[in-house]
Amino acid sequence: MSGWEAFSPDTLRSEAKAIAGRLNPVLLHFVEDCVGCALCEVNCPYTPAGEEYGPVEKAEPLRRIVRGQVFLAAKVLPWLFGARLPRSAEELDRWAELAYRCTNCGLCYITCPFGIHSGTMIQHLRYSLARTGRIPTLLKMMMDLEASGNVLSVEGFSKVWSELLGKLEGLGVSFDRKGAKYVYLPSLAEALITPGALVGTAKILNKLGLDWTMPSKPLSVRAPIANLAGDSGAALEVTRRIVDYVAGIGASTVVLSDGGYPYRFLRFDAPALLGKPLGFEVVHIVELLHEALRKGSLKLREVDQKITWHSPCQLGRMGGLIEEPAEVLSSTSKNFVKLESHGLLSKCCGGGNAIACVVPPTIEMFEGLLGGKIPISEKEKVFLDKLYKDMLIASKAKVDEIRKSGASTVITACVGCVHTLQLASKAHGLGVEIKTLPEYIAELLPE
Amino acid sequence: MDIFELAIYILPPYVVALFAFGVAYRVSRYIFMFRRVPVRRRQRPASKLLAGLVKTFLDPLIIDARMRKSDFIGGLILLHILGVIPLIFLLGQHVAMFSYWFPPYSVLRPLSIPSSATSPALTLTAPLKPASEMSWTFVESVWGPLTVILNGDLLAVLAMLGVSYKIGDKLWRAYRRVGHVRLGDFAALLLLLAILVTGFLATHHLPSGDIVTYRFVLGTHILLAEVLVAVLPFTKFWHFVFGYWYGKLHEWYDLKYRRGAL
Repeated sequence: MSGWEAFSPDTLRSEAKAIAGRLNPVLLHFVEDCVGCALCEVNCPYTPAGEEYGPVEKAEPLRRIVRGQVFLAAKVLPWLFGARLPRSAEELDRWAELAYRCTNCGLCYITCPFGIHSGTMIQHLRYSLARTGRIPTLLKMMMDLEASGNVLSVEGFSKVWSELLGKLEGLGVSFDRKGAKYVYLPSLAEALITPGALVGTAKILNKLGLDWTMPSKPLSVRAPIANLAGDSGAALEVTRRIVDYVAGIGASTVVLSDGGYPYRFLRFDAPALLGKPLGFEVVHIVELLHEALRKGSLKLREVDQKITWHSPCQLGRMGGLIEEPAEVLSSTSKNFVKLESHGLLSKCCGGGNAIACVVPPTIEMFEGLLGGKIPISEKEKVFLDKLYKDMLIASKAKVDEIRKSGASTVITACVGCVHTLQLASKAHGLGVEIKTLPEYIAELLPE
Repeated sequence: MDIFELAIYILPPYVVALFAFGVAYRVSRYIFMFRRVPVRRRQRPASKLLAGLVKTFLDPLIIDARMRKSDFIGGLILLHILGVIPLIFLLGQHVAMFSYWFPPYSVLRPLSIPSSATSPALTLTAPLKPASEMSWTFVESVWGPLTVILNGDLLAVLAMLGVSYKIGDKLWRAYRRVGHVRLGDFAALLLLLAILVTGFLATHHLPSGDIVTYRFVLGTHILLAEVLVAVLPFTKFWHFVFGYWYGKLHEWYDLKYRRGAL
């Protein structure tokens, strides 16, 4: 029986106990202080796909789990106090459907009158579901690959990485060089989906004259992919691997070109998970560019192209870099336009938090790289087909906003956003060019 | 002893004790679970952080007004801003009652709201002054023409409309089998509605003017309010005392102070 068919009340009960053990004041507030006003629904990218996908509804399963563990009345009368656990595989499937309609974009966090971040609760729910077997097969495969410590053990991946290394060597990049002050940490996902970001970042770092190096092998699929399934134990392992690598080099700063969850994780979440400071700073390439432009140590060529910036939720809202990328881009084109929602409430692309990474077109792409079929059960296939359909509905608001801006090129800085926007652009006939910030800027570096 | 006597003279210390226990229980969990997080914050100017703090509290209100107008009017304006908040804390009868239990509360007496738009009398039987040093029979309203709105009668009706809107919204969601609607939602809203209705009836000496009925209705009003206070730390009313303030302050600290998302 595959994980998608299994149903074990004992596993559910033990997971409920485990979640109670992971409670902290913030998670407790998220769980117990919701009054059910459902205002969070209005800004969630998934509400257009169904009212039942509003954050308050998606977080309810986690609340049920916690109530049954923490509140005496709910322990005694679970049916009365909203603490009943699923009694069938179908009910559990429903929970999985809800958990995978969240991009963890943080829009609900700001919209909620009580500052409740449903995305955090849904990550905990995802972990419990993974323990019951409800986790997309591709995500599980990537987690296992990352946990193995050798993400290049797959021939297709190794080939892509080797080709990229060749290009980087041509730029004079030195790998694993001890004593470098900066370590650039690209991921396998970037090499596969946005290889131009790696080359562009290398060119920018060279132009800035920094003393930098990078790993000869990616340290993660996308640091750490376990985070997307809420698996903090596996995420901790990968974090330690990264920390050890950077300590071995002796660098003071880690540079990222991926402004998706790896930036947020390494910059803000990893120290909390590790329980101590990482021992180095974590910056996104846009921070280095912004600083260099501000000081006048870098001048970029200007173009007339009408461009816009899609702010990745984990770099902007959840990472704090909202205006910096816009300021960098506005220095490159007089025709830079901000999207209507630009700012703290910037619309989400709809595919983050592993959603775009597990939908059928991505599976096909990975099957090509792996050279074989990924074993997906019929039940999971139905789940993924519906997820893809809903993802395209969720991405529609972003597509409309880009279309309204009139831009011919959309710049962003997140592997997941690039991949989602490519899928959504194709599905909704957007017809714009989508580029990562490093590859766009690299084209404008002075000779 | 009737319900009035029970509510006014017997129960208050027990209610306060239960409330204090509940507050201590809920707040202590936050204190005991607290762990310091070793994260280096992003530097941002203090002025922007301060503006960000104000915006943190304003953003949901603006979003509500723009994107969910019915909730903005029914839930926020009628129920909260015009309804229960001024009614609970400033209605003349309440100021008198709270001042009796907690004398420093009388500092708010100049801001008291009369129960009627046309009369400053605290009760229908005014100007019969109770035999007490603390007694007062009229609300010397500072609100001037605003009394047209700021009077107990109108505010109580608006608050009842607001609660009814919320009950209707929950019923509609329950009908559509939305999972997050629970029995407790209805219990809390019905309790609030009962307090408002009994308060309104007592003020107008309804359903009849005889003293026994009056004492029963007013006693029920006070008793239900005491139930609300006693269970407040264990229900969604907790948002008013803690959840709202903690939640928004934490959000500001996390997103704006720590991450610099301004």
